[in-house]
Amino acid sequence: MDQFKQVFIEEAEELLGTLEDHLLNLEDAPEDRELIDAVFRVMHTIKGSAAMFDFKGIVDFTHVVESVLDQVRGGDLSVTRELIELTLQSRDHIHEMLSAPSDITPESESRSRELIGEFEKLTGRVEDKRNKPPAAGGEEEESFFSLYRILFIPDRDIFFSGTNLIALLEELQELGECSTIAYTSEIPSLSGYNPETSYIRWEFFLTTKASLNEVKDVFIFVESSCQLEVTLLVEGDREEGEGEKRLGEILISRGLITPDDLTGALKAQKPVGQIMMENGLISRSDVESALYQQKTERKLREKQGSGERENTIRVKSEKLDSLVDSVGELVTAQARLSQISSQYDDPSLNALAELIERLSTELRDNAMGLRMVPIGTTFSRFKRLVRDLSNTLGKEIILETKGGETELDKSVIDKLNDPLVHLIRNSIDHGIECPQARLEAGKRREGTVSLIADYSGANVVIQIRDDGAGLNKERILSKAREKGLVGVDEVLTENEIFKLILQPGFSTAKEVTDVSGRGVGMDVVSKEIESLGGSIFITSTSGKGSTISLSLPLTLAIIEGLLVRIGDEKFVIPLASVQACLELSREERELHREKRLFEFRGSMVPYIRLRELFLDRRDLPLREHLVVTQTENGIFGIVVDEVIGDYQTVIKNLGRLYKNLQLITGATILGDGTMALILDLNKITALAKVESSAGI
Amino acid sequence: MKQILIVDDSRTVRDSLKFFLREGGYEVLEGSDGVEALDVLKTARPNLIITDVNMPNMDGLTLLENVRNSPEHKFTPVLVLTTESQQSIMERGKSLGATGWIVKPFDSQKVLAVIKKVLGG
Amino acid sequence: MAEGKKINQYLTFTVSEETYALNVLNVREVLEFSQLSKVPRMPDFMRGIINLRGSIVPVIDLKLKFSLGRTEKTIDTSIIVCEMIMEEETIVMGLLTDSVKEVIDLDENDIEPTPYVGAKIDTAFIHGMGKKDDKFLIILNMEKILTANELNMVSSAEASGE
Repeated sequence: MDQFKQVFIEEAEELLGTLEDHLLNLEDAPEDRELIDAVFRVMHTIKGSAAMFDFKGIVDFTHVVESVLDQVRGGDLSVTRELIELTLQSRDHIHEMLSAPSDITPESESRSRELIGEFEKLTGRVEDKRNKPPAAGGEEEESFFSLYRILFIPDRDIFFSGTNLIALLEELQELGECSTIAYTSEIPSLSGYNPETSYIRWEFFLTTKASLNEVKDVFIFVESSCQLEVTLLVEGDREEGEGEKRLGEILISRGLITPDDLTGALKAQKPVGQIMMENGLISRSDVESALYQQKTERKLREKQGSGERENTIRVKSEKLDSLVDSVGELVTAQARLSQISSQYDDPSLNALAELIERLSTELRDNAMGLRMVPIGTTFSRFKRLVRDLSNTLGKEIILETKGGETELDKSVIDKLNDPLVHLIRNSIDHGIECPQARLEAGKRREGTVSLIADYSGANVVIQIRDDGAGLNKERILSKAREKGLVGVDEVLTENEIFKLILQPGFSTAKEVTDVSGRGVGMDVVSKEIESLGGSIFITSTSGKGSTISLSLPLTLAIIEGLLVRIGDEKFVIPLASVQACLELSREERELHREKRLFEFRGSMVPYIRLRELFLDRRDLPLREHLVVTQTENGIFGIVVDEVIGDYQTVIKNLGRLYKNLQLITGATILGDGTMALILDLNKITALAKVESSAGI
Repeated sequence: MKQILIVDDSRTVRDSLKFFLREGGYEVLEGSDGVEALDVLKTARPNLIITDVNMPNMDGLTLLENVRNSPEHKFTPVLVLTTESQQSIMERGKSLGATGWIVKPFDSQKVLAVIKKVLGG
Repeated sequence: MAEGKKINQYLTFTVSEETYALNVLNVREVLEFSQLSKVPRMPDFMRGIINLRGSIVPVIDLKLKFSLGRTEKTIDTSIIVCEMIMEEETIVMGLLTDSVKEVIDLDENDIEPTPYVGAKIDTAFIHGMGKKDDKFLIILNMEKILTANELNMVSSAEASGE
């Protein structure tokens, strides 16, 4: 059972997550029947499963919550903020009980009582069925053989409840010696006969040790679809001292059965499957049915694979990581194969290399896809944060999320949680004003914090937007000067000024609050985002609000790149940002030599010569290529000696020693074992802008 | 081998039922709610359906109605899983054509006993 | 034996005809000088990166680091791949040397503190001086070869352009 216990705990945790979502949504839509049902259902499921694994503390507690929710479902109780708050607290409490080694501790009991007390206040009185009677089938008073007469008249439509009368008779026979009389008089002639109708009345005489209730229990499922009379004809004698005898022995001693009968009955205690076999239940048609079943199961499995409903298995993320690693190596080896095959004019080798290339691309995409997770789950986690924070701060805030389906590499998502928490806290604490202030400013009473995710080239952009007071440029700047973060004469762009709030030790809040404003944490944001190869951009309008945009790479492991050469060194430009590849003619080179501009689709675009950035300035090759790229800083031409071609790139980290290297995001190993560096175009173009404005 | 379709939105319940049933010598099909179950029933003809009541998308009682209204499955026994002796649910279930019920929490003996009651030894 | 010997093994190598030694615990393997890829905008002594069976390993030219000129490729030129802990991270890097000699035993008690060697080289990364067959060895302190300062230099080199 332990393996199920683990499954239960995992599932329960998932359910608790769902519950939280539902509750928070319910708070916004207290009348939503579906949500109420869903909340009830989750609680119900938790209780049901907990009961199976002896989480008695959880069962008892959830039972009470469930019965309150049942009242809500029945319309006897309405959804209030207090109810949701209490249910949320209950959710947390269940979570605590689940995580603790035991779900019954003095603390948890007292917390349960406390919460139940709160619920009682809310509802008047809660049915507390904690001292449930033991389940049926408990110790029965010892009894001896009695004779019963049973009259059983099934309803005519009894088959429509799936009832199997044969099974019923068998069960009865198992209780003891049973003689059966079938009254068939009501069976009509063949013409009027409906095989779906039950026409027979039955009478049984049963000699059994079973009690009246046990006999009646045989009919428990059909009670409502038959007439049933069970009469005790002869009550069993108590024979002192005989209680220890086994049923079979007594039966034999009374001459009711023969020893052979006993053996037969004992056989029936074997596993059901075996009994079925022994009873000759498995026949040719069973074999056919099994084959049919196999086919349908296979179909079912295929359908589950493509089905819309999520059918998931759990895989340790380390396993995925190692899969991605292997795929990365495979891609590298494949690149080598392609390179070698291109050197030989062997059609079959070339075909094979192409096949391997296609397969490994597919495999790579699939493997990467496995690690892609929608950001929505992360978003929805913040509902609680926003809610709790607004309560603490006395602000009224609506959290909006958009683009939750946007997928990011799991490793990126995992690292995104903390930065987002800090940013949201910051928006709520410093951004959104108090209701009073908002009204005075002519705004809606409720502030809005939006989380928006969207694709942008090879990146995902996540925005944290608020409609609060906006950032105060002057205050940030003067504070930064005060703290020595910025020189007195230094001129900063707006974005640079705003980014100061992410500096360690920086906080503009006039008073330090519990929520944020200690200046701890915001610097974590920029550190984490940068470690993910992402960047931060902040815009803000005074009085209107701020938007913090995080631009993140889709994945950390593999990118499609354009392999280029400068001198003897090779570099990779992320393909997603490449717009076009052109030849930079000598004339063009001369034409705008000073300004370093070229014409692209009707407008003048600046270019950057990597040779100048990375190597000597002077000796320009005869011909150069120009790669037109879309970057954060606009469209730029990147001038290289030669464009070699598309390249699938497994990104290798350059390690600690190159941690501060800004223009390169990593390296990759080429098919021939040499390496190429992957360019960070955003940084390169930003640097070029700075250098050109500085007149270098 | 007899085939049983279990319908429950709780993976825990499905997994444990599946375990018990396989131990008992049954083949097991699964669905996580009524909609999925009906999908399974399009191609499969289980000897028994065991369904939970409270499930998303389609609850167990609606599933039951659908089963009873389908020509292929109208006689298929259906056992309803209930948490306690929820009399009202049992009664509604019966009136909709449930064959019987299994009360949660259950253990393997209880489950197999009820199934035997319905399917016969 | 009164003071108890503390024998450690050291790998010896030469840079500009001077013999240096490195605790073998730091050494992973010795490679021939192979193709290096230069990483732009890094200090000169960061000669580039190599592909070590699929991982990228940075290579430091000790001669440039010690301001003794640039290591040119000869038949003896070797890269010592070594690892060290820096800010709780294990860092693997290659040291470019003129030649690798041998592994020797040295008693920790025989290692003398760093003498003053003039302003020619920074002595922070020198663990001490040892002696083998009457020849002096400069024992390097792996962890100090690259200072945090030098790492910052990387970014400042970049910011100042060329």
